[in-house]
Amino acid sequence: MLEKIETMQSALGKSPQLTRLGRLFSETVLLQVDAKEFYLHFEKGELANIEPGPSRKTPWRFAIRTDAEALEAFWAPRPAPGFHDIFGLVKIGRANIDGDILSLVKNLRFFKEFLALGLEGGTA
Amino acid sequence: MTIEDITGRYVNVEIEGQTQRVYFEEAGTGRPVLCLHTAGADTRQWRHLLNDTEVTSEHRLIAFDMPWHGKSLPPAGFEREEYLLTTDTYIATVLAVCEALALDRPILAGCSMGGRIALQLAARHADRFSGFIAIEASDFQAAWYDIDWFDRPDAHGGEMGAALVSANISPYAPDVERWNTLWMFMSSGPGVFRGDLSFYTKDESLVERLSSITTKQTPVHILVGAYDLTCTPEDAKRTADAIPGASLTVMDQLGHFPMSEHPEGFRPFFIDALGRMAAAA
Repeated sequence: MLEKIETMQSALGKSPQLTRLGRLFSETVLLQVDAKEFYLHFEKGELANIEPGPSRKTPWRFAIRTDAEALEAFWAPRPAPGFHDIFGLVKIGRANIDGDILSLVKNLRFFKEFLALGLEGGTA
Repeated sequence: MTIEDITGRYVNVEIEGQTQRVYFEEAGTGRPVLCLHTAGADTRQWRHLLNDTEVTSEHRLIAFDMPWHGKSLPPAGFEREEYLLTTDTYIATVLAVCEALALDRPILAGCSMGGRIALQLAARHADRFSGFIAIEASDFQAAWYDIDWFDRPDAHGGEMGAALVSANISPYAPDVERWNTLWMFMSSGPGVFRGDLSFYTKDESLVERLSSITTKQTPVHILVGAYDLTCTPEDAKRTADAIPGASLTVMDQLGHFPMSEHPEGFRPFFIDALGRMAAAA
């Protein structure tokens, strides 16, 4: 998973249009996949640092908790219904989002397009 | 260079005592079909069907922008008003447009909140229509979002709304049409999407009316996309089951805005639905 996130980090760095969308987003996001935690430190639309957890001392703005199988389905080219969006994963009980959800919603297009960088063959 | 067959005009109608300038588009000749857009959007959602000659060769398709939406201005004094759509105002608007355009018992085709009001009209004013195509339509379901997200002074409600509703678009939708669909949400007026959702997420009055809908003279066909997170196939099935004689089709590769997000995928379902309205012709 760390390798996947690093690939997304690199792709984000090469997408000026996407970093422009996230230019006001400087927050830490906790991505939890099964028992593994990753603290994603965003800085003005760049993913400045990926900090593997667990950590009880790293503050985060919002958290997305899911499982590897669900993420794999999410990143398929044509996901099945429910697996096609992070809120879909929540609706079908395969993810939880907690913390400052408004922060996520204010930056939702940026964050969704960042996640889409994990798509098979995705270039968003 | 192409010039489309769609023509757009304005009609001034009185709705609940207030004169409103309503924009409408139409194309085709034949049996009238009045098309209602979703929350937070406008007539452009119907652009492909209005340009579909297989549909317009036998049907006159008319779509209008609800007041506050698209090219229809909000009513005078809007600057001192909180926009909150209600069932009564929505019904009054649809009936006023029907009357102003002298539509004789049109088929009513509505999507999302337009589908919801189509079913309300099926229950309360069936005599004014000849059939109902209710798309992504359900009796009621609670919001899975906070409607106040979409009307804030510190953020762009349209951009947030578009990013949220993208959850309802099928991965089969062509990218161009996905973004055309989202553009309407991005560019809707401040507070309009929230005001529409107030109607959509708070008014449960349809639930108890479903069993009173009679489909013998005015067929009801419900269409729902498998990728619709807002009105799920389960929501649509529950609704269809509660209406005696209603029919339902689940569209496996479509989402909440089928006519706009994936026109090629949707058109066979819409043409099939029009065929089901034949009994009342």
